[in-house]
Amino acid sequence: MQYELRVGGRLGPRWVAWFDGLHLADGDDGTTVISGEVVDQAALHGLLQKVRDLGLPLVSLRQVPPEG
Amino acid sequence: MVARPRLARRLRVAELPALTLVSAPAGFGKTTLLAEWAGTAGADGARVAWVSLDRRDDDPTVFWSYVAAALASAAPGVGLAEDAAALAAGTGAGTDAVVARLLNELGAARDEIVLVLDDFHLVESHEVHDAVVFLLDHLPAHVHVVLGTRADPPWPLAGRRARGQLLELRAGDLRFDADETATYLNDVMGLSLADGDVDALEARTEGWIAALQLAALSLQGRDDATGFIHRFAGDDRFILDYLVNEVLDRQAPAVRTFLLRTSILARLSAPLCDAVTGEPDAKAALAGLERANLFLVALDDQRAWYRYHHLFADVLQARLLDEQPELVPVLHRRASDWHEQHGDRPEAIRHALAAPDPVRAAELVELAMPAMRRRREEATLRRWYDALPAELLPDRPVLAIGLVGARMASGQLDGVEALLDGVERRLGPAADAADVVVVDRAELARLPAQTAMYRAGLALLTGDVEATTAHASRALEHSAADDHLGRGAASALLGLARWNVGDLAAAEHRYADAVAAFHRVGHHADILGCSRALADIQAAQGRLGAAIGTLEDALDVVARHGPLRGAADVHDGLAELRWQRNELDEARRHLRTAAELGEVWALPQHAYRWRVASARVAALEGDVAGALALLDEAERRYDTDFSPSIRPVPAVRARLQLACGDLEAAARWVRGAGVAADGELGYLREYEHLTLVRWLLARHRTGASDTALTEATTLLDRLLAAARDGGRDSGTIEVLALRALAHHAGGDTPAALASLGEAVGRAAPEGYVRVFLDEGAPMLDLLRAAREQPVPPATGEHLTRLLAAAGPPAAPAPPPVSPAGRRAPTGLVDELSSREREVLRLLRSELSGPEIARELVVSLNTVRTHTRNIYTKLGVTNRRAAVRRADELGLWS
Repeated sequence: MQYELRVGGRLGPRWVAWFDGLHLADGDDGTTVISGEVVDQAALHGLLQKVRDLGLPLVSLRQVPPEG
Repeated sequence: MVARPRLARRLRVAELPALTLVSAPAGFGKTTLLAEWAGTAGADGARVAWVSLDRRDDDPTVFWSYVAAALASAAPGVGLAEDAAALAAGTGAGTDAVVARLLNELGAARDEIVLVLDDFHLVESHEVHDAVVFLLDHLPAHVHVVLGTRADPPWPLAGRRARGQLLELRAGDLRFDADETATYLNDVMGLSLADGDVDALEARTEGWIAALQLAALSLQGRDDATGFIHRFAGDDRFILDYLVNEVLDRQAPAVRTFLLRTSILARLSAPLCDAVTGEPDAKAALAGLERANLFLVALDDQRAWYRYHHLFADVLQARLLDEQPELVPVLHRRASDWHEQHGDRPEAIRHALAAPDPVRAAELVELAMPAMRRRREEATLRRWYDALPAELLPDRPVLAIGLVGARMASGQLDGVEALLDGVERRLGPAADAADVVVVDRAELARLPAQTAMYRAGLALLTGDVEATTAHASRALEHSAADDHLGRGAASALLGLARWNVGDLAAAEHRYADAVAAFHRVGHHADILGCSRALADIQAAQGRLGAAIGTLEDALDVVARHGPLRGAADVHDGLAELRWQRNELDEARRHLRTAAELGEVWALPQHAYRWRVASARVAALEGDVAGALALLDEAERRYDTDFSPSIRPVPAVRARLQLACGDLEAAARWVRGAGVAADGELGYLREYEHLTLVRWLLARHRTGASDTALTEATTLLDRLLAAARDGGRDSGTIEVLALRALAHHAGGDTPAALASLGEAVGRAAPEGYVRVFLDEGAPMLDLLRAAREQPVPPATGEHLTRLLAAAGPPAAPAPPPVSPAGRRAPTGLVDELSSREREVLRLLRSELSGPEIARELVVSLNTVRTHTRNIYTKLGVTNRRAAVRRADELGLWS
């Protein structure tokens, strides 16, 4: 499943390895969009916990429908 | 340190509710606040127990052993030290039992007690959460729980909030406000910043304390503070990233390297850091970091162990992963090896899994298994297995069996059969020994026995007695002579299987073997369960004395080792046996003790057996309605676990109804139970068939049927043969007694007296009484007539005893405790608690302090505490005076 998380604070490309190879892109409002393939719900919750443990405010989370 | 009076004011111990939640993300100073507050609370006389949780505590056994230990050390008068030790050693009854006992002990304490659980978000286990909620719901008023957490616990909080039972300090409360920010930056960190600069920092960090700490570090010794702050405020990079970067950049390269490489460690010590970094100067490095306030927290006074602030470490690890990804597995492996060499296998496993080096992790898990199993830390084991790739298991039979054990212990049977198949394939003759990867050779030798045991266990779960017997026998065959634990478990399982098919002699031997084996390995709770079964079997064999001895031995184990699961059942058993011997005060005493112990220290059967035994006593006291009510409850709670169902409650009820003359009700039972005089006999239905006989005799007596007596007599003859065949002497005695009644009803008094004589002769050495006296007037007539005859002396003595006992029952001591009794006010300024009333009742008896402690299953200290409180409340100074005063006040109702 493809997910897109938006977090408060700009993370640089240095953080890609920490987020297990997910894609990081700067949002226009000082946020960062973390996106990519997440294997299952357990992996998703693991990702959310990483965000939480860094004290990164979670702004939004959405599942991205597969390209039609 | 910034003093935070506005927060301290909200945490006054005297005003604390049951639960205080300090819930905010990392870096908001939760731990600092709580630690400081704990110090002042201690000074105010509260006893503070502190537990800093880590990932390993996400296992009920580990969690509660730390909680018990912390409470024991904070409040030494509270008798929890043994529980902590028992849990740690795996001999505890299980965490439910510990929580219940914790509540009992906490209830006896007089001081305010605060339990602080820091980093509670690390607990994810449902079991732990459920138990904590249970604890909170039953907390005594003087005990308070404080949780420090990054996430609200997954329980209903709204209700507690609404009822004022929850105090919360959240991020909004914990942030530094403008004043606190200024105090911190200028007074504590000595920065002398202008107001504008302070405001800018406060705005950018939003009072996030960790960020302010990093900012302060970055500002120290900097000439252009304003410029730095301006740049910082204008940058939208994630604050932590920006600031940690700044801090790192200002460090010497050697320090920077040290920080990055050691960031993977949960805890740091100089030797460990040396091993991981490959450089020998960790001691100096750590001292330097601590001096520079670089987020290094000392964990003990000797400065042997430290840890990094979590946020700081996370950012460092992210940098390391980015800059030197190939180094990370190397560092983890070094850490894993060091921990393994220094006796911390769980930490070694954590690093091996993180490396990731699953093969190394698998080896370590295999080595760790026996100890984890012994300590009942199955939750941790399962977590490790979940982290290992499944492909590793087929070639590692010892590892695979460990997973089977962990799953079965938790009742999760998925995939267990497949795992067992895999293991047996690897061990079978066709297997190539070279393919098997084994680290623990000793465990490999035990595999054939263990696999057979697990298969026996699975068969038991599906009710396949024959398969259970076959597998358990195989397990016994394969067990080494000195593997007492394995042999004990296999014997117990075999005993259970044989018991279920009525093979009492074999069952008795197996259970006796099991009890002896468990004694040798000190598995005390298992001794209780097996003793209970053994006593039931011995009683069926007509060996009341042996049965009582078995259970008294089991009570010795409880006396020596404290409360254990099954203790209540042992008392239930003794209550039944004493009842049979008509020793009613003893029976009542055991029932009371069993009730005190409660479900927590009981096996599944206790709920119904206690009620059946209590019903019998109630019936003897003339309280038929009470007895029937208890039997109804017993039926609802009926659970024989895996033991044979030999005394179904409807049959017990039917006998009571017959004794009261309610033939209608008994007839309903006969129809419903599907027992017939010509039905197949055997151990499992003996009790029901004997109940049927009584019904037939009653029908004959009331003239309701001409054939009833013949049917009864025929059935009795068949039952006699069956009881003799099955070695069931208690059945034989009962059959002979009923046969005597049948003969008498048929007018053949000599035959009746002969039968009765034989019954009493067998009953005498074992002390059977109720089996005769429960038959009422007709039996009494026969007993009197038998007394007139010449009989052997032992028989004669027993007849005398029976006739003497047939007088009205002695006035009962207070009946078994019912939970919520309402009492009239006594005129005391301070009412006695229900616990204190129980102690007071025992003070009235001849029991000594230690005996009272044993009776109530608490420590002697706790009894002394209760006693002191009782004396104070009653205004007396000694035991006799307390009892007298209680009499005056009418406290016994």
